[in-house]
Amino acid sequence: MNSNAAKVALGVGTIAVAIVLLVVLKNDSGESTSTSDAGGKVPVIVVEHGKPVGGVKDLTYNAGERVRFEVRSDVSDEIHVHGYDLMKDVEAGGSVEFDFPATIEGVFEAELEGRGEQIAQLTVNP
Amino acid sequence: MTFWLPIAHALVARKDLPIPAWLFAWGASIVLIVSFFALSIAWRQPRFEDERWRPLAPGASRALLGLPVQLLCGAIGVFLLGFSIYAGLDGTAAPDRNFALTFLFVTCWLGFALFSVIFGDVFRPFNPWRAVGRLVGGAFTLVAGQRPAHLRYPARLGRWPAAVGLLAFVWLEVVYGANGGVAVGLSPDTAALAALLYSLYTLAMMAAFGVEEWCRTGEVFSVYFGMFSRLGSFGVKEGRLGRRLPLASSTSWATVPGSVAVVVASIATTSFDGAQEGAFKNGIVKVFEWLADAGLSLTASLRLSATVFMLLCFAGVGLVYLLGVRGMSTVGGAPSFAKLRSGFAHTLIPIAFAYLVAHYFSLFVFQEQAQFTFLLSDPLGTGTTDLFGTASSGIDFQVLSANAIWYVQVAALVIGHVAGLTLAHDRATAYWGDYRQAARSQYWMLAVMVAFTCFGLYLLSVANA
Repeated sequence: MNSNAAKVALGVGTIAVAIVLLVVLKNDSGESTSTSDAGGKVPVIVVEHGKPVGGVKDLTYNAGERVRFEVRSDVSDEIHVHGYDLMKDVEAGGSVEFDFPATIEGVFEAELEGRGEQIAQLTVNP
Repeated sequence: MTFWLPIAHALVARKDLPIPAWLFAWGASIVLIVSFFALSIAWRQPRFEDERWRPLAPGASRALLGLPVQLLCGAIGVFLLGFSIYAGLDGTAAPDRNFALTFLFVTCWLGFALFSVIFGDVFRPFNPWRAVGRLVGGAFTLVAGQRPAHLRYPARLGRWPAAVGLLAFVWLEVVYGANGGVAVGLSPDTAALAALLYSLYTLAMMAAFGVEEWCRTGEVFSVYFGMFSRLGSFGVKEGRLGRRLPLASSTSWATVPGSVAVVVASIATTSFDGAQEGAFKNGIVKVFEWLADAGLSLTASLRLSATVFMLLCFAGVGLVYLLGVRGMSTVGGAPSFAKLRSGFAHTLIPIAFAYLVAHYFSLFVFQEQAQFTFLLSDPLGTGTTDLFGTASSGIDFQVLSANAIWYVQVAALVIGHVAGLTLAHDRATAYWGDYRQAARSQYWMLAVMVAFTCFGLYLLSVANA
């Protein structure tokens, strides 16, 4: 290989990698605090047309706290909290409340089981 | 199938928490300190170029490598592959309740990598395609009275087919079967179909080029697990089982062309999987939106944007390595660029293994509980079978605390880093007669290793963010 051509190729490659890294590094997330600190109010996930209003809801807790949230849905489905493997049915136009201790650390999905639609992301920090 | 389930489930019900900032800082600091320490205590004569092979007792070789064991292992391999394909095609469409996905993508893909490092190349006896190929070859020899004639495998192609196959395999798992909020999921029957197609392709290639030749160069899993087996201290040489210096066998691994691509593909695919829901998420979403706006279907847009990032990963990892090699080639007395490029490829194997452990350790621990409880008792996920009385057991996600996972992840990356540095320094002392030039060349590899290790730590620190 011509050594100048190789240098140019490597230079261009380096710039490409640097650009990718820049895009990547922009995705910084701040420190998360516990959802249960937020004034004692139980968070509500509203499901309209089978999708969570305002996108997938972030719920963050510390291990040992109680996880509490309510789901109000305009469609009937089964709500499944993965990892904890909790399931509750919700009627169309009805609501259902979850209340359980945060015993397993990690990141979990809560979804409308029948639709395969994620409605919340549950994070339990140690 | 008795009930319908959506196929949007990922196998993973519990995802890892990102490692906290303080641990990231500690991990990165340890890596830097270890690296500079390594430079200062560096040895001057190569120590790993000679494997220091010592055969084990002849009885052990006879027992473990004899024909009965070969036949038994081959039969087990063929049965399990066949059963996985059957379960995938005939069992439930729910990925987490079907034997096929967990067995192929977790138990085998991760298990063989791990056990290859500990016990040597254990995939080789269980390789179902090799077993079938050898059986057919043996039968041919018996009937025709001569050994089957094969085409000459083009030497320049080397391990490239395995590198491409490795990318394709992981693509199938994490891109085609991605669960990025849009209902795309690798269904068990797709996995079974892919396994069938791969079997046909592999057997055809074995017929064309010979069983052992294809296992050495083109068969994805033989090459991949074989690569990791080079790190450990057990191996087979001339039909005898033996022990060797750990890491030392890797020094002769990359003599086949295309080996660089295999180890780069290994690092790239693992990083991509770790990054797609974390570090790369925003980028993937941007490309996805751009493609969807351009009129592509949502599924096609998601797969295409993820594919672009996976290939970028491959190019990025490859470029970082080639830059390091380029840098080394400027040091006085350096061998040719091509010799350096393949000569240092094996130093990335420990990094590739460390990435694998860091990203999949918890998945492996969780899914193996499923594998040996409900997936074993009810492999088709029908809900009506209970072969061993464990069908109603579940996964205990509390066996690993978040802290335990973090420490394993960071420890894996740091140990992999040290092993990689060790091999690179050792190779440099073999390539450069002058000790000082060898040490100078290693500033470049040091930079490459620090880049990979810190990138690995970074990926862990933004996992699923």
